[in-house]
Amino acid sequence: MKRTLAGAALMCTAVAWMTAGCFERHKAAWDDSAPGADTLRPETRRAAILGARLEPGALATVQAAPVEHWKGPGDQSFEVAGRTSEPQAGQSRRFGSITLQTALRRRPIGQYPCTSCHLGRKVVMADRRIADAHDDIQPVHPAETGAVCSTCHAADNVELLRLKEGGRASLDQAYRLCAQCHFQQVDAWAGGAHGKRLDGWEGRRVVMGCGDCHDPHKPAVEPRVPFRPPQLERTGGHDQ
Amino acid sequence: MSADRPAETPTGAAVDGTVLQKPVDRRGALTILAGGVAAGAQAVGACSPLSAAVATEEERELKRIEWQLFIQKHYRRMTEEERAETVRRLERHAKLAHDQDVSIATTEAQPGVLFGYAFNISKCKGYRRCVEACINENNLDRNADTQYIRIFEMENGVVDLQDADATYQHEVPAEGHFYLGTQCFQCANPPCVPVCPVGATWQEPDGIVVVDYNWCVGCRACMAACPYWARRFNWGEPEVSAEEVNPDQHYLGNRARKKGCVEKCTFCIHRTRQGRLPACAEACPTGARVFGNLLDPDSEIRWVLANKKIFRLKEELGTEPRFWYFAD
Repeated sequence: MKRTLAGAALMCTAVAWMTAGCFERHKAAWDDSAPGADTLRPETRRAAILGARLEPGALATVQAAPVEHWKGPGDQSFEVAGRTSEPQAGQSRRFGSITLQTALRRRPIGQYPCTSCHLGRKVVMADRRIADAHDDIQPVHPAETGAVCSTCHAADNVELLRLKEGGRASLDQAYRLCAQCHFQQVDAWAGGAHGKRLDGWEGRRVVMGCGDCHDPHKPAVEPRVPFRPPQLERTGGHDQ
Repeated sequence: MSADRPAETPTGAAVDGTVLQKPVDRRGALTILAGGVAAGAQAVGACSPLSAAVATEEERELKRIEWQLFIQKHYRRMTEEERAETVRRLERHAKLAHDQDVSIATTEAQPGVLFGYAFNISKCKGYRRCVEACINENNLDRNADTQYIRIFEMENGVVDLQDADATYQHEVPAEGHFYLGTQCFQCANPPCVPVCPVGATWQEPDGIVVVDYNWCVGCRACMAACPYWARRFNWGEPEVSAEEVNPDQHYLGNRARKKGCVEKCTFCIHRTRQGRLPACAEACPTGARVFGNLLDPDSEIRWVLANKKIFRLKEELGTEPRFWYFAD
């Protein structure tokens, strides 16, 4: 009986490896702290995010690290919405509402922590299985620049990002990694000209992190079909 | 002021008494007349063969409210009480006429706040998510498909709105093009305001140019005066279903409009006066829209104005739009 259960668990793990991206797996550790992480099913949670009406207090944030030249406007500190920020269903609609395009990435699969395969520098699973597990990653971004996984991911702890100067950053502080090359963008982001502010124009300033819009492995924005055009190109008697 | 308005209770006795004993201004007389009309309608309804169809209490109330809305004062001349009464009447009208449970605010401008907007022409990809959000948020007429925002597809290197395409339907972004969105710019020197013959449009202290839809006579002089095509006219009765209506409303913003009045973008006055972002800024998936308080030196909008190359449309006209464009 025990053996059957173990076998079933292994099967489930394998299936999950096939379907879930490494991003989900890599976020397993911090998803545990998400509000309601163990109460909301992934579908419910996704629906909650897509139709989210957030109360300011419901946002989990991390304080942006005080790095010399990228402070916010007026040298004010600001907060970055952590990847743990998960609105719960049924929030009041009177406050800032958010539609996050990256909802799928936030799907929690806390039961598959990176450490189930990555133990220190050793990878436990066979090569072919690893390829399957990560087959949804299109590494356009590091590949173009000749980078490999360990350029950004710490080899001995894949739940952390490796900084050029030798430090580490959590995935919530991915902007510290991005800033090493994209300094202009990070400048504009800290100032308010790039990225997106949440909650409202007033009060505490909470902004989205780099990974909330950009897939780190394929950061370019994809073409889309636009919302329907206007029936009249212009109004006001200038050309109608 | 409202004390000499017994017409709220449409009984013949009150009408006669007021007319005989007190001097009545034109508007007051019309109000009294309203009572008379309502009372008359009641009497006619009672002996008409159509009485079952026209004389329900709710229909009579609706008629009365419609008349009162027609003859109400200018919004800026109303006292606090009159505003509360007007809003209550409008909410009741939404319920009776359209079965909508709405809440209409009259929130004033915050002191020390002047709204400004910046639009990143490098970031906008032309998805029109802002347009979609605007329609839903502001209860825009679904029948005529009114849209406050226009997104122009522009050829790289040229800022020529005359030849730009706002009706593109292909997958975006298109190669060799950039996208520039227009809406009401809430000009500091708005040409649309002084041309209004009845004073139905004005600028609020926080910079938002608003319209009292009930005072507007629909002459459309403001539309001719606006050099940015920012205003829209209701050729028909605007239609928004009870399921789709956004019940979070403001008197000067997204409340129900009537046929024959002009409307425009108000930077989502019902949201921004509560500290929230306009719906278009919140919906933008590329982060091309920056909104904030121009009087706060630490705001994002001020950072953009201070650190980016910016321009405004038709600056030579001296309209001083509070809507800037910038590039990365």
